[in-house]
Amino acid sequence: MAQDSQIELVGLNRRSYIRVLAFFLLPAVLIYSLFSIYPLIATIVDSFYLRHDQAPMTYNGLGNFYTLLGDTTWSVPFWNAFRNNCYFFLIHMCVQNPVGLALAGLLSLPRLRLRNAYRTLIFMPTMLSVVIIGFIWQLILSPLWGIWKMLLGSVGLGYFFGPYLGEESTALITIALISVWQFVGIPMILIYTALLAIPDELIDAATVDGLNQWRAFFYVKLPLIWPTIGLVSVLTFVANFNAFDLIYSMQGALAGPNFATDIMGTLFYRTFFGNQLQLGDPTMGSTIATMMFVFILIGVMIYLFLIQRRMQRYSF
Amino acid sequence: MANVSIKALNKSYGPVDVLKDINLEVEDGSFVVLVGPSGCGKSTLLRSIAGLEPVTSGAISIGGRVVNELPPAQREIAMVFQSYALYPHMNVEKNMGFGLRFSGTPRAEIDARVSEAARILQLDPLLKRRPRELSGGQRQRVAIGRAIVRKPQVFLFDEPLSNLDAALRVNTRVEIAKLHKLLKATIIYVTHDQVEAMTLADKIVVMNQGRIEQAGKPLDLYYRPANRFVANFIGSPAMNMFEVTVKSRSAVQTKSGAAIKTQVPLEFKIGEALTFGIRPEHISAAKGPANFSVTLDMVERLGELGYAHCELGTGEKLIVELRGEAPVSRGQKLQLAFDDANVHFFR
Amino acid sequence: MKIKFSTLAVHVVLAGYTALALAPIILVIMNSMKARKAIFLAPLTPPTPTSFDLIGYARVFSDGAIGTYYMNSIIVTLGTIVITLLFGGMAGWALSEYKFRFNKLIGIYLAIGIMVPIRLGSVAIVSMISGLNLINTLTALICVYVAQNLPLAVFILGEFMNQIPKDLREAARCDGLSEYNIFFHIILPLLRPAMATVAVFTMIPVWNDLWFPLILAPSRGKQTITLGVQQFLGQYITDWNAVLAALSTAIIPVLIFYILFSKQLIRGLTSGAVK
Repeated sequence: MAQDSQIELVGLNRRSYIRVLAFFLLPAVLIYSLFSIYPLIATIVDSFYLRHDQAPMTYNGLGNFYTLLGDTTWSVPFWNAFRNNCYFFLIHMCVQNPVGLALAGLLSLPRLRLRNAYRTLIFMPTMLSVVIIGFIWQLILSPLWGIWKMLLGSVGLGYFFGPYLGEESTALITIALISVWQFVGIPMILIYTALLAIPDELIDAATVDGLNQWRAFFYVKLPLIWPTIGLVSVLTFVANFNAFDLIYSMQGALAGPNFATDIMGTLFYRTFFGNQLQLGDPTMGSTIATMMFVFILIGVMIYLFLIQRRMQRYSF
Repeated sequence: MANVSIKALNKSYGPVDVLKDINLEVEDGSFVVLVGPSGCGKSTLLRSIAGLEPVTSGAISIGGRVVNELPPAQREIAMVFQSYALYPHMNVEKNMGFGLRFSGTPRAEIDARVSEAARILQLDPLLKRRPRELSGGQRQRVAIGRAIVRKPQVFLFDEPLSNLDAALRVNTRVEIAKLHKLLKATIIYVTHDQVEAMTLADKIVVMNQGRIEQAGKPLDLYYRPANRFVANFIGSPAMNMFEVTVKSRSAVQTKSGAAIKTQVPLEFKIGEALTFGIRPEHISAAKGPANFSVTLDMVERLGELGYAHCELGTGEKLIVELRGEAPVSRGQKLQLAFDDANVHFFR
Repeated sequence: MKIKFSTLAVHVVLAGYTALALAPIILVIMNSMKARKAIFLAPLTPPTPTSFDLIGYARVFSDGAIGTYYMNSIIVTLGTIVITLLFGGMAGWALSEYKFRFNKLIGIYLAIGIMVPIRLGSVAIVSMISGLNLINTLTALICVYVAQNLPLAVFILGEFMNQIPKDLREAARCDGLSEYNIFFHIILPLLRPAMATVAVFTMIPVWNDLWFPLILAPSRGKQTITLGVQQFLGQYITDWNAVLAALSTAIIPVLIFYILFSKQLIRGLTSGAVK
């Protein structure tokens, strides 16, 4: 049996072998199970129960979910948050990732001077805390300080200015763009690395074949990095449906104006902890968390089974 | 097909000169091999001809046209890379036809050229396969096929056999030679292996540290090497070389005092210090008067062929090629002879 | 020397985006050192001798807690990195070296954590931490962050350890070393490049995290710098000097750290990204 020959190889008897395994594995598995897996399962289980203040918990089946999705007091904010989240995600997919791709493409051009300087500097906002970034932009966009208005004015778009963060129609897209501005470095670095892995001789062959840089990018480089782009997409998805920090620090737990910037994360926080408008409700909070988990799971499944299968990693 | 003419080519990376005053003529339809040790500049020269590297000064002409300013695609060249550089995401057929897609060649023409190349290289059953489904030798043929499809003026090969195993290398070498005759192509071929150079080339160009040491027909380089470097590089095992002083018109003496009888050409004065060279295959056991004597250290037998490792004087080692079952034993003193015509003197 | 138009265009685009990326940050730092009037009248100019004013910083530091916040962040981040590397390395080693029956299963079990965000279990985490009486402790934060980062660490370190030649371990065993010695004295020192990758992937999200400090350790003495700055900003929101100074205080150390270590950081990110 393979297991026995492994033990022989290692020169230990069965009991010491198990002891060795336990020593190496247990710490990690314990902490992970205790603080990561158990809470998640507990949350999911929790969402099937009702809890009223001091009364003991009662089993409620899918009741909480019906309430969340059907009862207007809950469902309106929930679907609002969900819709906002989807919008948030779309902006990232359509702006952040293409820009990251373009920057990575430019950075990977052969014989580019100052390449490392650009890469380091463009990545800088990603290093900073979301709190800081959010606040910086709040200041810049603030009508009181007027910087943004000045900049727009200098390119003749002065009429475009408004209190973006205070208006329902513009708040979410503004925050989304700020988030894009901050995190463009991540797809940029990931795609840049994948582009570096393409052997130079392949690009030479394309050059000899008569392709200019544009064509070489679209016909040779891009097809070879699809797996990375797929990975970036799924990471964007998970990160967006988990987002909270930026909106909380810019618009507070109420995700104003009038819940226009409310996403799943802020809804979860508000429900769980309570705020001026409502008491904290852990079970509904758990229910929301479970729904978030379901969404994320669906997204990851789509990635794993549909996209990951189709995309092949090319070894060179 | 066209000729290639390189005049006074220089290339530097900042303060470092990688190609120094290269002058080379490649006749139309000839097979020229650039050979030399690692770092001698042969690949750089090839890439400069291809247009993948800029040059600092000098002129490269293909078919009478100066191509310095032209990008690779417009020089009418095709290149076969060391790692084959096949596009992993395309099948063989698409790989071969890829370059032509962007030059305005009509679809039918592309298909015709691809099938022609596939026929010549016996790639027909592999056309729909992807590179990762092919063996090393097959990938190499696809790379060559891609070059043929372009119908270039000049073929450039960059160490194409380096990644193949020994047996495959010999076969593919023969295939390339046959291809050359079939297509009557002008080929410039880079390798570090002097056996490949000797067997394939119409003209060998030996390079060292950015310079051309000697260029000429293979046998010319073998029998009449211009300097120590070429003499040492061509031929395997390498030529035996000793530092000697001319003792008389008919004898030289090595550093350790051993005497070698040989006719010294008049251009070398008595007492002059020279390098004496003779190839292992040009020495044999003396049947009559000996030219010099050595002590046998060890014998390597490879069947019919064998190499005797001997010592001439202290620290002066010599290799002699043996044929047949010549009886020799360790420590034995051997009397050796050679033909004066095969002796080389270098200053 | 010829400068091709296309090369110029590329540099224009890249330099342009770099300016876009840096301008807000520079703007803030610049203005944090100006008097209030100068901030509003001439926001785009650097501080002149007349407008130079560090009053904002005075307010930030008079609070006194900034130092504590930094210490807390450092303790939490360093603690997380060290424990994650140690436990992650040990687990990665066990999974890579010993082919036992549940090897693959445990591997998948841990891999789940890479994709699923730990925040979702916050309700249970909070109640568990309160139950353990660890609310408002840095320990709680470290526990949670370690759990969050272990899956990726195990994956990256495990992959790396697969590359270490088997011969090394066999030789050590022949020499009579115990399994524990093999890991701590031979394998661990060889892991350094991969450790850099893990450190980078762990450090940034832990240092910048707002969520867990907010729900697990919000008391004044235990706030991390991220939370502390966020609270400060909320409190002094109309005091522009203080606000700009607070932002700069939070930014500058990170910037300095980043510039000093950018080569290692990017290398850590790129080598890990390939996996």
